[in-house]
Amino acid sequence: MNEGAYVQKLFGIPFNLSNDIPGLIAAVIVFFLLFWLSRNIQLRPNKRQNFIEWIIDFTNGIIKGIMPDEEGKKFGLLAFTLFVFIFVSNQLGLMLQLTANGTSYISSPTSNAMTTLSFAFMVLMLAHFLGVKKFGFKGYFKNTYLSPIPFLFPLSVLEEFTNFLTLALRLYGNIYSGEVLLKLIYKLATSFGIASFIPAIPLELIWQGFSVFIGSIQAYVFVTLTMVYISQKVEKE
Amino acid sequence: MSSTFLLGAANGVQWGDTIFYLVLFIVLMALLKHFAWGPVSEMMDKRADKISGDLDSAESARKKAEDLAEQRQDALKDSHFEASKIIERAKKNGEQQKATIVSDAQEKAQTLKVNAKEDISRERQDALDSVKNDVAELSIEIASKIIRKDLNANDQKALIDSYIEGLGKQNEAK
Repeated sequence: MNEGAYVQKLFGIPFNLSNDIPGLIAAVIVFFLLFWLSRNIQLRPNKRQNFIEWIIDFTNGIIKGIMPDEEGKKFGLLAFTLFVFIFVSNQLGLMLQLTANGTSYISSPTSNAMTTLSFAFMVLMLAHFLGVKKFGFKGYFKNTYLSPIPFLFPLSVLEEFTNFLTLALRLYGNIYSGEVLLKLIYKLATSFGIASFIPAIPLELIWQGFSVFIGSIQAYVFVTLTMVYISQKVEKE
Repeated sequence: MSSTFLLGAANGVQWGDTIFYLVLFIVLMALLKHFAWGPVSEMMDKRADKISGDLDSAESARKKAEDLAEQRQDALKDSHFEASKIIERAKKNGEQQKATIVSDAQEKAQTLKVNAKEDISRERQDALDSVKNDVAELSIEIASKIIRKDLNANDQKALIDSYIEGLGKQNEAK
């Protein structure tokens, strides 16, 4: 995005508030949505409970395809939270864009590389940590870097960095490009007055619909790859 | 901002965002676990347990019902057998009883017949005897009446003679 970032320093740490505020909004939306869905839980589920159970089943299904059951059970909550949060983050910018005085306040949190890199970093650190915890440092090193053939060691090290970058930048690129095109269509709409405003409406509509689709796919891909990376570290090859 | 990040521009990397998102995510995860994920997945587990328990109990109930049906079938077969046996026995008993009754009756009839014959012959004898006596008495009475009416000396003498003669003949016959 071309708008300036709203950077504030707190305890000498630079915070980009035009990235943090939408993140907070997305988290609040996620929390209240799921809080509302999970009220009045019963053995015979009502409509709301069916919906949240459907989401849980979906994320559990992602894990089930990748890890054995007793191993994967621990990651159910992680996959669930990650999926819902990234999904809502992807959709947030499609519905709401707020820019004032050249500073962006609300957009998709995931249209910022800092956010996606943070998530990828967090997830991969967790994966490495779990690997060390399970096999000890020696076993982890052997399993991760020397495992199929030792002389591929340099490639294995490189792979860890590419994993990190591709995981983050795939999500970022998809959402960011979606928002850029939304803004371009908006510029087109306002450039020639009413003559361009009306034809731009269906264009924007179509692209928003497609972006919803992309956002869902990307949330799914992010969670799936997260689980794949964790399982690579936790399982013996 | 991302363009500035990618270019490494003047205002630098806002690495506070990483901390912010880490904390945000962990807090969100904890809250969700407490309010949404925990209760819902617990209920899902409970439901899965209940369903598998229900399936087990349904299986055992089905087995029990099958056993009962088999038992009933066996009992039915036994009762058929028993009934035919009972009927057969009853038939045999009846046959036997019939035979004894018939032979008893025949025996009784035979004895009755014999008794009746005896009775009849005795009665006849008795009747004959009494008739003989009566005839003798009658004849004596008639004789005395006739005699009293007109009996002169000659006639009396002749009568006594014939009588004596008759007596002699009677003794001879004896």
